[in-house]
Amino acid sequence: MNALLEIRGLSKRIPSARESSGERVLLHKIDAVIREPESIAIMGGSGQGKSTLLRILACLDSADEGDMYVRGASCSSMEPAKWRSQVCYVAQHAVMLPGSVEDNLRTVSRLHGTVYEQPLAERLMKQSGLDHIPMKGPAGDLSGGEKQRLALIRSLMLRPAVLLLDEVTASLDAISGRLVEDILLEWHREEGAALVWVTHHADQASRAASRIWTLKDGTLTDSELSCESGISDETAGSVRER
Amino acid sequence: MTLLALSCTLIFVFITMFVSFWKRLGLEKSIAIGSIRAAVQLLAIGYVLQYVFQTEHVAFIILIIAIMTVVATWNASRRGAGLKGVFWRIALTIGVMEAFMILFLIGLNLIEPTPQYIIPLSGMTIGNAMIVSGLFTTSIKREVEASRGEIETLLSLGASGTQAMQGPMKRAVKFSMIPTIDSLKTVGLVQLPGMMTGMIIAGADPVEAVRYQLLILFSHTGSAAMTSMILSMLYQKLFFTPDARLRKIERS
Repeated sequence: MNALLEIRGLSKRIPSARESSGERVLLHKIDAVIREPESIAIMGGSGQGKSTLLRILACLDSADEGDMYVRGASCSSMEPAKWRSQVCYVAQHAVMLPGSVEDNLRTVSRLHGTVYEQPLAERLMKQSGLDHIPMKGPAGDLSGGEKQRLALIRSLMLRPAVLLLDEVTASLDAISGRLVEDILLEWHREEGAALVWVTHHADQASRAASRIWTLKDGTLTDSELSCESGISDETAGSVRER
Repeated sequence: MTLLALSCTLIFVFITMFVSFWKRLGLEKSIAIGSIRAAVQLLAIGYVLQYVFQTEHVAFIILIIAIMTVVATWNASRRGAGLKGVFWRIALTIGVMEAFMILFLIGLNLIEPTPQYIIPLSGMTIGNAMIVSGLFTTSIKREVEASRGEIETLLSLGASGTQAMQGPMKRAVKFSMIPTIDSLKTVGLVQLPGMMTGMIIAGADPVEAVRYQLLILFSHTGSAAMTSMILSMLYQKLFFTPDARLRKIERS
């Protein structure tokens, strides 16, 4: 059976004035597999390439070498729009599209010419505590936390197989952050979508993920995480450095 | 107009230079160079046109239109520094617009197929397309830079490049059309257009002058809209890599 998402030999170099060669290896021949819908946390110190890896996986940035596969189909042989419909990236800072709250929720159906799933949108809005906001009001007027939750619901309307979450709770207060976490974990359980979180918080990784990918010096270390064992010392150390 | 009378208009240039000197704006050199260039360029084109009108040779018409197109393209494409392939896209757009407008006007018998009509109208059409192209290029660059978040959000939701660029393209088209729409709304109330004024001063019937001016205004509005629409289609791929990632625009 094909893996849900597979990364093979992914490398990325970035320009660097500090290196004599003028560039730095950010990711070096990374291999990783998500075999079934599971929740994975990506951790590591600043500048280790966590967000870059996520953007490459979302087909928003390109790798210098390697390829990625979703359910056995390679990214390089697939239309980028088709790839992104299955592997959806959610940015740290939510961007509201011009128009109303409802316009934002309808984006996916508008782009793909599909039926707007109103009951799903209403259920998610209620779960996220956004059922009080006027649907016809401008999305740009919402608070930061509300925008982030709306952006998340907008992505969930796509029903992607893999959700790439780039520090989606970093700019939220504790309560909103937990709310977002709960929505995503419920979605993961109910809809069977894989979650890949970039996070700096060890406690969030313990709560939300079953595995941890640690990025350090261009390499990725994959480690299992059980509820009892918590985060390994090495991984936590790389987080504490911050 | 006598040469002496024409020389007297230099007073306006001297007034401008004096104000610049007095207020220490440092524009005296630019004003002097600009004035000399304008005088030389216009006098030269005056003599060239006189010769072309007399000979009525089609090769001269094509040559003059080609020079106008290249100069207009070069000027407008400077706004697209950092974007590869802008020059040819603007050249193609201006060329198509010019051919369409002139063939349309001649085809409908709105103008006579003589250099006297074709060259001045081509100058106005190409000049107008140049301004719209420059404004569109400036605006779309700024829009794409300012809307990277919006574009990448749409891409992340499975949008195609065309779908993701729809908003920025729409805003850039609107922006490039502002001067044309504004002049259409205020013409006759705020300003009397140059061509109409020139015809009236030269002794033409004002109503006849107005008719020609309306022809110019309407054709310019159409050509402005078409120029920005054609450019919005031709620019689509400029902002994406071959594998459909949003390109970073190089700083010029």
